[in-house]
Amino acid sequence: MSDMTSTPTKKKVFVRFDLLQRVQHFIFLISFSLLGFTGLPQRYPLSPISTAFFELTGGVEVARNIHHASAIVMMIVSLVHVLEVMYRVMVLSTPISMIPWISDALHVYEDVQYYLGFRRHKGYYGRYSYAEKIEYLALIWGTVVMGLTGFMMWNPISTLRYLPGEAIPAAKAAHGGEAVLAVAAIIIWHFYHVHIKHLNLSMFTGKLSREEMLHEHPAELAAIESGKHEVQIAPTVLRKRQMIYFPLAFVLVAAFSVGFYYFVAFETTAVVTLPQGETVPAFYPLTPTPLPTPTPTPEPVAVTTLTWEAFAGPLAQKKCSMCHGATAMGNVNLTTYADAMKVITPKDSANSKLVIKQNAGGHPGQFTADELTQIKAWIDAGAPEK
Amino acid sequence: MRIRHYFFITGLTVLIVALGLAVFPAAAATPGPGETAASSRVLAGPENDACLACHQNPQISVNLPNGDFYNLFVDPQIFTLSVHGEGGITCVQCHVGFEPGMGHDFKAGSAREATLRLNETCAQCHQEQSSQEKDSAHAAARASGQMEAAICTDCHTAHDVRRIHDTNTGEILPDTRQWIPQTCRKCHSAIYDKYRNSVHGEALSDESNPDVPTCIDCHGVHIIEDPRTSTFRLMSPQICAKCHTDPTIMDKYGISTQVLNTYVADFHGTTVTIFEKVAPDATTNKPVCYDCHGIHDITKVDDPKKGLEVKENLLARCQTCHPEANTNFPESWMSHYIPSAEKYPIVYYVNLFYQFLIPGALIPMGILVVLDFARLMINKFRPPAKPKARERQPKDTSEEATYE
Repeated sequence: MSDMTSTPTKKKVFVRFDLLQRVQHFIFLISFSLLGFTGLPQRYPLSPISTAFFELTGGVEVARNIHHASAIVMMIVSLVHVLEVMYRVMVLSTPISMIPWISDALHVYEDVQYYLGFRRHKGYYGRYSYAEKIEYLALIWGTVVMGLTGFMMWNPISTLRYLPGEAIPAAKAAHGGEAVLAVAAIIIWHFYHVHIKHLNLSMFTGKLSREEMLHEHPAELAAIESGKHEVQIAPTVLRKRQMIYFPLAFVLVAAFSVGFYYFVAFETTAVVTLPQGETVPAFYPLTPTPLPTPTPTPEPVAVTTLTWEAFAGPLAQKKCSMCHGATAMGNVNLTTYADAMKVITPKDSANSKLVIKQNAGGHPGQFTADELTQIKAWIDAGAPEK
Repeated sequence: MRIRHYFFITGLTVLIVALGLAVFPAAAATPGPGETAASSRVLAGPENDACLACHQNPQISVNLPNGDFYNLFVDPQIFTLSVHGEGGITCVQCHVGFEPGMGHDFKAGSAREATLRLNETCAQCHQEQSSQEKDSAHAAARASGQMEAAICTDCHTAHDVRRIHDTNTGEILPDTRQWIPQTCRKCHSAIYDKYRNSVHGEALSDESNPDVPTCIDCHGVHIIEDPRTSTFRLMSPQICAKCHTDPTIMDKYGISTQVLNTYVADFHGTTVTIFEKVAPDATTNKPVCYDCHGIHDITKVDDPKKGLEVKENLLARCQTCHPEANTNFPESWMSHYIPSAEKYPIVYYVNLFYQFLIPGALIPMGILVVLDFARLMINKFRPPAKPKARERQPKDTSEEATYE
């Protein structure tokens, strides 16, 4: 093939894609890419790449909104394309050049022969090669599948008025499978043919040089240059066809708009409020076992006669026995008269250890002033036992 | 043998024994399994008998300024049988800073204040548990003024602290498992009542089943997280999955271990999983396990009233979030089944179709691309042979023109 380039040719360009087609392609590629980028991480949520993607874009809900918005854009482009193809076919009588034909199978066969070295040239493609046709048809199939299954997932309650419940996970399975197929096919097939093999920018510039035409669409070039491709339509016929086309297109657009509105706003699938959570109160204590009630404070010891048995003994029991009972804290025991006499000096209250301690104040089990006065009186009276 | 050899051997023995003594007390103090942080502290101070002389009197009590009646009685028998009693812990090791003598110079406005002040003492030995507790929902509640929120002694008691783990194996004791829900019940009795009648609570209470979770298996110990947060919600499937993806437990009861996988593979689970990974504290209304299966009152799936295997029950669950859901709707959730030719066959065959379609389309494309590229490279790096025959070519009718 390279030897052909040596032939000096004048600069000639052929319009391959008109502006509308190029705009369609551009919008479609944007929406397709956004759908792929936001959809695949949802299909593989456990992948670290997905996590990184969601971290970068602000989370799965953002990704879903982008996904939905891109889907809307893609549907609009698809409608425009349907209207365009209808116009070309119905009004302009343009040949339907995207339908695969026996010649396409032959071209595949010829290409394989060429790859294996049995042939000097690839097949002579027409306006669209089998590579372009298969991609276009796959795109139509994919858009239909993705649109339908996407609608089902977007509006599951409405869908399930007519279909069994299983349709929703089935739609999800198909949506995911088709997505992987579409993205992989674009990467393997489309990227190779128009980016890697040879950077073909005709989808953006709209033009191909004669040399490119010669390499890629030789049969079409031949047809153009022989003048065969021209289809002349009489203005009256054209007018007549348009009179049919435009009302039809209007009905189609109206129907699509209504359907489209429903697609987006058909139903409120789920409430937005949070699930209720635990309904019973968290703090709901059991009624605790009542603690033992305090015993009433014993009545003050009635002062009858100032003796150990009638006065000092019971007072010591009441005020001192916690420490100076069986425990004998500080080796002081005030349980019995005999033991008590170790800290009491009869007839000398001022030198009695008990009084000295109590006079200082602040002792646990401190006597009241009255009690202390009486204790002193009792000691000074000789601290009688009985 | 010379006499100096005896000296040498004796000296060596003494050295070894001395070294041993230096090493072994430390080893002896190493906590056994289950007693992770408690190291025995030896304090000089009065023996327990000194305290018990007064405090074993059932009448001993004090009236606090707010009118609370504060019981100061300690049953020596109960304490002796408690884990601290067994360990020979003395009263003053916990009741630090008390002056001997009547009243101990003890001042507290209320019974709770007195308890809260004493609570600090547990950290002396149980530092790890205490610091974990400081990050818990109970500590947060106390910080916000709800002083009734549990502290150490509310769960463990003060003088009747029970052994929780088997000293030899470190495993939690079967008795403890029974005792845990009863402990939480003291404050959370409404929740306990729901748990008691759940599939887990019934198995624990009626059969002493060792596999079912008690409160702490989901909520944790000491560092008990607030379960009402978004973070807890998003992380909660992992709690359930801990047991429900473990075949050694689930096989006994014929329960599927695919419950997490299948949940993650569906809309709800996918969203929750992504949220958990990307924004673990974000709020999402997508359901987690307990939103469908119940919180605390989890039942068997075939329970006639609440079990989700019963279609009416599942529909009712769906309708709490999807109010317009019709009777077909519940089937759109595959009930944790993996689609097969028997269960959810449409999904199964759609998947199968794409399993063939994807390679069926991509492999031929790949082959053609590889062949084309190989030829391109061959032509580029190997000069082509001279053409043998005239080749078929479209006629060159070049002109300065743009064709449309």
